[in-house]
Amino acid sequence: MSGTDDRVPVTADEWADEADSDEGIVVNWFVREGATVKEGESVCEIQIEKVSIDVLAPVGGTLAEIVKGEDDEFERGDTLAWITPDA
Amino acid sequence: MADESGETRDLTMSRAMVSAIAHEMRENDEVFYMGEDVADYGGIFDSTEGLREEFGYDRVMDVPISETAYLGAAVGAAQEGMRPIAELMFVDFFGVAMDQIYNQMAKNTYMSGGNVSVPMVLTAAVGGTYNDAAQHSQTLYGTFAHIPGLKVVVPSTAYEAKGLMHNAIRDDDPVLYMFHKRLMGIGWLPAPDGPKTPVPETDYTIPFGSADVKRDGDDVTVVTLGLHVHRALSAAEDLADDGIDAEVVDLRSLVPLDTDTIVESVEKTGNLVVVDEDYRSYGVTGEIVASVADEALAALDSVERVAVPDVPIPYSRPMENEVVPDVEDIAAAVRRTQ
Amino acid sequence: MAGVSRTVLTEMYENMVTARHYEERLQEEYLEGKQPAFDISAGPIPGELHLAAGQEAAAAGVCQHLRDDDTVTAPHRPHHVAIAKGVDLDRMTAEIFGRQTGLGKGKGGHMHLFDPEVHFACSGIIAEGCPPAAGAGLAAKKRNEDSVAVAYLGEGAIDQGAFLESLNFAAVFDLPVVFVIEDNDWAISMPKERVTDVENGAKRADGFEMPGVRVDADDAVEVYEVAGEAIGRARDRNGPTVIEVQVHRRMGHFMGDPQTYRPEEDQEAAAERDSIERLEAALRDYGVDDDAMETIREEAHERVEAAIEWAKAQPHPEPSDAYEDMFVNPPSGVTDSEPDFDLAGGDD
Repeated sequence: MSGTDDRVPVTADEWADEADSDEGIVVNWFVREGATVKEGESVCEIQIEKVSIDVLAPVGGTLAEIVKGEDDEFERGDTLAWITPDA
Repeated sequence: MADESGETRDLTMSRAMVSAIAHEMRENDEVFYMGEDVADYGGIFDSTEGLREEFGYDRVMDVPISETAYLGAAVGAAQEGMRPIAELMFVDFFGVAMDQIYNQMAKNTYMSGGNVSVPMVLTAAVGGTYNDAAQHSQTLYGTFAHIPGLKVVVPSTAYEAKGLMHNAIRDDDPVLYMFHKRLMGIGWLPAPDGPKTPVPETDYTIPFGSADVKRDGDDVTVVTLGLHVHRALSAAEDLADDGIDAEVVDLRSLVPLDTDTIVESVEKTGNLVVVDEDYRSYGVTGEIVASVADEALAALDSVERVAVPDVPIPYSRPMENEVVPDVEDIAAAVRRTQ
Repeated sequence: MAGVSRTVLTEMYENMVTARHYEERLQEEYLEGKQPAFDISAGPIPGELHLAAGQEAAAAGVCQHLRDDDTVTAPHRPHHVAIAKGVDLDRMTAEIFGRQTGLGKGKGGHMHLFDPEVHFACSGIIAEGCPPAAGAGLAAKKRNEDSVAVAYLGEGAIDQGAFLESLNFAAVFDLPVVFVIEDNDWAISMPKERVTDVENGAKRADGFEMPGVRVDADDAVEVYEVAGEAIGRARDRNGPTVIEVQVHRRMGHFMGDPQTYRPEEDQEAAAERDSIERLEAALRDYGVDDDAMETIREEAHERVEAAIEWAKAQPHPEPSDAYEDMFVNPPSGVTDSEPDFDLAGGDD
């Protein structure tokens, strides 16, 4: 089993252009913990003010842990989940 | 339901619906989508999110605010053999184009002695619960199921949304596909738990006229559709704490109606509660009760109807909450049967 | 500016700054309880909210000519028109907040405002206010009264059958009706050129052989002048007119509209073109100084604040109120009993 250090954070890199807020909310998770994900695949949907944005997997691997669940609020840059990359 | 083999994703109902449309559009050049704000906006209720990016404006057409013209154009293009999908942004706007729906789309096959087919899908957002008042909150299930010649389907989860959409587009008859706004999984209109389900990536069809027993139970049969499938399931959980075991039947389609599944359930439980977000009179609840009475009157110990009392949907929160059936209303109706 | 008095300019200014402040304050109230997650059904004003900031000139310039007995029908974006028509601001605001003392007792909401005192009505369905406006004109004609009717609609609505049929109906019966198209360039996310064949919506009038005039800038004074002719023609029984006014949408189609489809430049241009500033320049020409305008703005703000405060202090409806107001007469009609006739006749 790989150590936690190998894990890659999932963050909301894209932010709504006109948004004043640095806060967002997780609206939907599409992948469950333990499932495999492909790089660039949409793993969850976030909402910033009124704009909805898909968050993509930065690497392929296994979705190890969801940190911010549905309806959770988060700040820009927060880790939403961890992916354990494919070996 | 879908398997967990890794070929599934948890999708919102809107994404499941869109994935079916996109699949059919890739497979068949004759499929196209018309509606207001379906291109750049992706549908006010996310019904076409991302389709314009993949298929362009020619196949994902923003149209003038002219429902008679574009719904009628869908009828005409369908009669020429294409497979248009046309969207009513809110089902409440049907009145603007009622002739094209009621007299053209629904009747041309029959009046032609079966020589003409109308292989189109009419999609429409339905339902209230967010204080949008009487012209933007109706479901009108009964209005459309009433007219002979339309197939009418109502998905309650992402899994149903995709399978019913595949079947609707491939069907050679006009299909009205009524999606509930509250179930779509839109950020600004939060869905209850339930409509987001695992959905296979592959295409699959759900036949019309196949109701789905969403929860097994021995004491009472709750027949419902759309948003109220989830409210009925919540009510069933509450009732289970009191030792009442409710079976919840999701109709999935109003036309054709799967009377067999309902009757089979009622013959087991003896009690029938029909829950509908449409108006009470001359509607779905009366029709289901009458259908069961026709087939299995002796099996019926008690009957309850839960629907919108015969008033338009009021705007203000306390009044809308009063008239749209909620979990407590369903549970109370079930208790009255025991 | 022939024929425009200082009083007229001042009154239009009052209406416009009231309407602008009203929309800005409603936006704030609406967003209460909707942050950070925007949930349309949360907060003191739930449901859709279509605000009209940037469209005030079309309301003030036309309604300045209207009397209380003239009819106005407005669409889903009605507040600025209602204010200019003299709708009771307190009760309108209470309606928007869904309160028991609102214009519709909380049943209608912001898209469905009815104030019969000033003959004002709304419809949330595109162009569907046009036929009732024609009907109000028909009633005036039949009763030989000199009242007129004005139907407001957006530029997206000019492709709707209800509008086109109403034009013909009004034309063929010479009805005292003015159709006012507010062209804000956008039908929600659809730019006009994508869905409408004409750039100038007033050209719709041509096919019905009635006058059609477009006001290219959202200039209240020019709207006032053009509307004066049209309404005068209607009052004199010389038939209907179409007026299109270029306005601009400073906010989204509805609150919650992310407007991701809308180019940045378009939003900036809308923000820069301000009918209120334009009218202020005209007022200065008439010798109204900035202090006097400031006083008007302050009074308008106070009026809006008072209306919102009053509305929020009003009671919510009881759930059971939902069952009231289905009919004006009892369900059986005007009477509960049939007269007693002996239809058999003959020897009794």
